[in-house]
Amino acid sequence: MASGSARKAGMRLSSLLSGSLASGIKSQTAAASPWSSSTGAAGELGPFGSRFASSQAVRNRMKSVKSIQKITKAMKMVAASKLRGVVSKTEKSRGLWQPFIALLGDHPGVDAKKVSILTVSTDRGLCGGINSTAVKYSKALLKLSSGPDKEVSYIIVGDKARAILQRDSKQSIALTVTETQKISISFTQASMIVDEIVKDLDFDVVRVMYNKFNSVVQFLPTVTTILSPETLIRESESGKLGDLDAYEVEGAEMKSEVLQNLSEFQFASVLYNAFLENACSEQGARMSAMDSSTRNATEMLDKLTLSYNRSRQATITTELIEIISGAAALEASN
Amino acid sequence: MSAAAGSGGAAPFWRAAGMTYVSYANTCAALVRNCLKEPFKTQALTREQVHYKISKWSDGVPEKSVVRETTPS
Repeated sequence: MASGSARKAGMRLSSLLSGSLASGIKSQTAAASPWSSSTGAAGELGPFGSRFASSQAVRNRMKSVKSIQKITKAMKMVAASKLRGVVSKTEKSRGLWQPFIALLGDHPGVDAKKVSILTVSTDRGLCGGINSTAVKYSKALLKLSSGPDKEVSYIIVGDKARAILQRDSKQSIALTVTETQKISISFTQASMIVDEIVKDLDFDVVRVMYNKFNSVVQFLPTVTTILSPETLIRESESGKLGDLDAYEVEGAEMKSEVLQNLSEFQFASVLYNAFLENACSEQGARMSAMDSSTRNATEMLDKLTLSYNRSRQATITTELIEIISGAAALEASN
Repeated sequence: MSAAAGSGGAAPFWRAAGMTYVSYANTCAALVRNCLKEPFKTQALTREQVHYKISKWSDGVPEKSVVRETTPS
């Protein structure tokens, strides 16, 4: 009963409040009664100045857009400064794998039973589409390499590709590596990872899939094929290998030993380069993504400011009209 | 490689010990870095710092991930 009467009183009050007596009634209710709070919470009783509620919402929105714009701008700056450091490192690291192409040639179309696809991605997001590109190409590679008597597995570097690939092809994941960029990317790190992969997994061919850094706005999805020692020997016997035979093997070592060492070293240097290229592409993509989002925020802010000012102007105009017409009515009655 | 050649025609000793070529090369590199004089030594040793997390998967389920955080020396 009590609550029912309170509600009725509340309704009456709200109808009163919407009139021009608002401030006087409001102080009365605050002083007098236990039901003033409940009616306030129900939202029937707009707070003082509720007429401007929508413009207040717009103002809040503008504030949040402004701070988002600041954040994205800062992220862009950070990415740009990180990119500068990693680009020079990457360009130097390209000299590591290029001799291997000259010596052994590139064999993207080699036929093998056990294929591992090594997808290199980033640990963090907000860097454009480079991770989804890497995953897309890896999936295509998986389809190309799979067949009736073939085993294909993923080795995933980076959290982002893992998050995508574990959704639909978690059966094929063999190994995941993350947090490679926490300290810095070094050759020691790449070789330790290669060491573990070589010892743990049995493969004939590894296809390393990464985004090669071309410029800040362009990344080339790249596949590098690394043959296992056995495959390398087989290819070399059938004469498909580059000009390795032009070189003389020193000491008493067997050719197979040399090829095994070469294969492992090639894997390590390709992986090192892939990590760096990926880091480069990540920072570049983040830079351009943050740049465009800053631009979008500016645009949005402009629009919001315009509509806010317009509605404010409209309110002022309405108020003026009300006051003037009220005054005119009073004068007329007098 | 001269050490390997010195051990005769058989597989080099590090291969027999179950090392891969990269781990052998890195061990050698660490030894060389430790021979440097001081201002260059600490500089070079930062290149040995390693941190990554690795986890094996079997049947679509990740096993417990292991953090590898070492400075192999």
